[in-house]
Amino acid sequence: MLQRLLAIVRKELITMLRDPRARLSLIIPPIIQLFVFSSAATMEVKNIALAVVDLDRGPYALDVRQRLAGSRSFTRLPRYANVASARGALEREQVIGILVLPSGFSADLTAGRPASAQLLLDGRRSNAAQISAQYVSTIMAAEGAPLSGAPPDARPAGAAGPVFPANAEVVIDNWFNPNLEYQWFMMPNLVGMLSLGVALMITALSVARERELGTFDQTLVSPATPIEIALGKLLPPLLVASVQATLYLLIVTLLYGVPFRGNLLVFYAAILTFAEACAGVGLFISSLVHTQQQAFLGAFAVLLPFALLSGFATPVENMPGWLQFVTTINPLAHMLRLMQGLFLKGASVASMTPDLVKLLEIALCTTAAAVLLFRRKAA
Amino acid sequence: MSDTLTRMRAWWQQLAAIMIKEGKQVTRDPSSWIIAVVLPLTFLFLFGFGISLDTTVVKIAMVREDGGRDARALAAALTSSRWFLVVPATDRLSAERLLQDQNVKAVVIIPAEFGTRLNAQDTTAQVQVLVDGAEPNTANYVHGYLEAIWNGFLAARGLEQGGALAAPVSLEVRYWYNANAVSRWFLIPGSMTVIMTLLGTLLTSLVIARENERGTLEALYATPLTRGQILIGKTLPYFLLAMVSMLVCVLTALLLFKLPLRGSFLALGLVSAVFLVPALGQGLLISVTMRTQMAAAQLGLMTGYLPAMMLSGFLFDIHSMPPWLQAITLAIPARYMNVSLQTVFLAGDLWPVLIPNMLFMLAVGALFFGLTWRRLRKRLD
Repeated sequence: MLQRLLAIVRKELITMLRDPRARLSLIIPPIIQLFVFSSAATMEVKNIALAVVDLDRGPYALDVRQRLAGSRSFTRLPRYANVASARGALEREQVIGILVLPSGFSADLTAGRPASAQLLLDGRRSNAAQISAQYVSTIMAAEGAPLSGAPPDARPAGAAGPVFPANAEVVIDNWFNPNLEYQWFMMPNLVGMLSLGVALMITALSVARERELGTFDQTLVSPATPIEIALGKLLPPLLVASVQATLYLLIVTLLYGVPFRGNLLVFYAAILTFAEACAGVGLFISSLVHTQQQAFLGAFAVLLPFALLSGFATPVENMPGWLQFVTTINPLAHMLRLMQGLFLKGASVASMTPDLVKLLEIALCTTAAAVLLFRRKAA
Repeated sequence: MSDTLTRMRAWWQQLAAIMIKEGKQVTRDPSSWIIAVVLPLTFLFLFGFGISLDTTVVKIAMVREDGGRDARALAAALTSSRWFLVVPATDRLSAERLLQDQNVKAVVIIPAEFGTRLNAQDTTAQVQVLVDGAEPNTANYVHGYLEAIWNGFLAARGLEQGGALAAPVSLEVRYWYNANAVSRWFLIPGSMTVIMTLLGTLLTSLVIARENERGTLEALYATPLTRGQILIGKTLPYFLLAMVSMLVCVLTALLLFKLPLRGSFLALGLVSAVFLVPALGQGLLISVTMRTQMAAAQLGLMTGYLPAMMLSGFLFDIHSMPPWLQAITLAIPARYMNVSLQTVFLAGDLWPVLIPNMLFMLAVGALFFGLTWRRLRKRLD
């Protein structure tokens, strides 16, 4: 049996790797994706433009503008005469928002009266807008203090403003990712995401292609049993996934400097179990459909929910309760937690075991389902 | 004269013939209906419910080693805040373990003698905070919330002691087009772009590759059909399919997710139709370039779906990306579609915004169709 199984695996590997272009397409695209998407995927707001309508033209307004210019979030602060003219720029998405400093802004602050300013933001880009609002309000909160460069007593006695005791402070320490670099979060996630893609697609198209080309019947009349054939189709993706994962591991740690603090054995155990779970899903789809186009769509119909309900793009905690429950049967959700634990957190093997076990359960379920369905369809 | 007329009629008849053939191929395949209706609906549901950037309550652990008045006041400020769900921890070690095991997102430690040090002049009172930095976006929100609570605590304490009042600069923040800054409102138009890309690019990318693989492309070449007729005939059924599912998406967004439609249906239809030109063009180009469906599918995924997801401004703001990547996004039709859809839904028919975006889409589409035209040679090899 083992001999026949190995023969099938060899045959599958040859089909997959025979064509040099196909070989390249297994390696090159995922690496390009890793490079491109890790740069794209950032929730930080930086280098964007904020329109300023300065109706005040006083020293405090100048100070606000200088402070804004000093932050790395806003590199351009185009000035407009009034809100109406700035609105056009906002509509065309040239600026994220408009900061209006009303006339009398400096006069109020100099006289010790509370002053107010207005920030109008583009709600079409609500996430970037909210983050920008946070930056601007931090800068404005500091604005009550004496102007930079001015002597401390330049501010009239009794001026309004929070007189915070100088001897109290909050010391914030970011664990696992001290500079809160978004790439450190994204890279381990992409390792899981890209393994999902390759393992699922290879198996999903495999049977469908043989059906379409008519070689499926030939395989069935060979001495190999349907179960052996099914297993033979499930093993090659594991090989491809682990080779790719090794490549990612090298790129992510050596090129991007993301730490790998966990156990290498756990890493490969996770990759193999996860790839098996995905390959099972892929083979299940492949046994169900008739054409590659259908297989492709089927794979897609699984890929997207897996990706969305995993914490890849947005945190699982933000989802409604019933969807959070669904994420517990999503292999990618467990995989991403394992990857975060391995790369950033240096989590102990014991604390990662529950996710590994869950992944193994899912892998067993999908494999069993795929093999059973395959046998029924092949019979 | 009548000669040209007959030729034109023949041309139309041929075109109609291939369209009927392709149309039948699409409609007789039950999966087409699943694709046009079921898939978009499922995806829209998932996007609508599954993706949210509106941070809800964050779970944090608190260790209070000081029983004094100030420490209790700070603890109360944290506990009563609507941003945090505070889990009390007995000591630092157990709190740190909660953080390590991903049970909480942050640990706040109010150390022993916090109050004493705060009230003495020559000592510094420190509150120590450990934040889970693995997810930077959440970490940033936690920073902001903590800062607000800390400032509130100090201000209240100062007020009690007869000090000064609130911060002197009040910032009034208003969100245009989306007053409550609901992330769903900007994510759903983006999801529609992704769904349309999926239908337009991915499905068509398999169309000619399939005929190539099955060997029926030669049969097609043997017919008197011209390249233009083959292109149009193969594209139109998918165009109609995509428009139907767009309609399904729009109705769902309006009725179920209560998205406002501040622009007109006309603008919406126009934008969608224009977007399908580059989307279908890209699919066809892939289809004539790749010999197998497997390769075509992979390329479609790589150059169509993934960029629509990651580089279109759907999830990640384009303006914050590195310049070389921003330059790449210029060639991605989904980028223009995204802005246009968000504008029509949330802002209205702002033609000065829509027209340049539509022109860009058409330009990219013309490029794709032109390249397809050149590659689609009637030859056997």
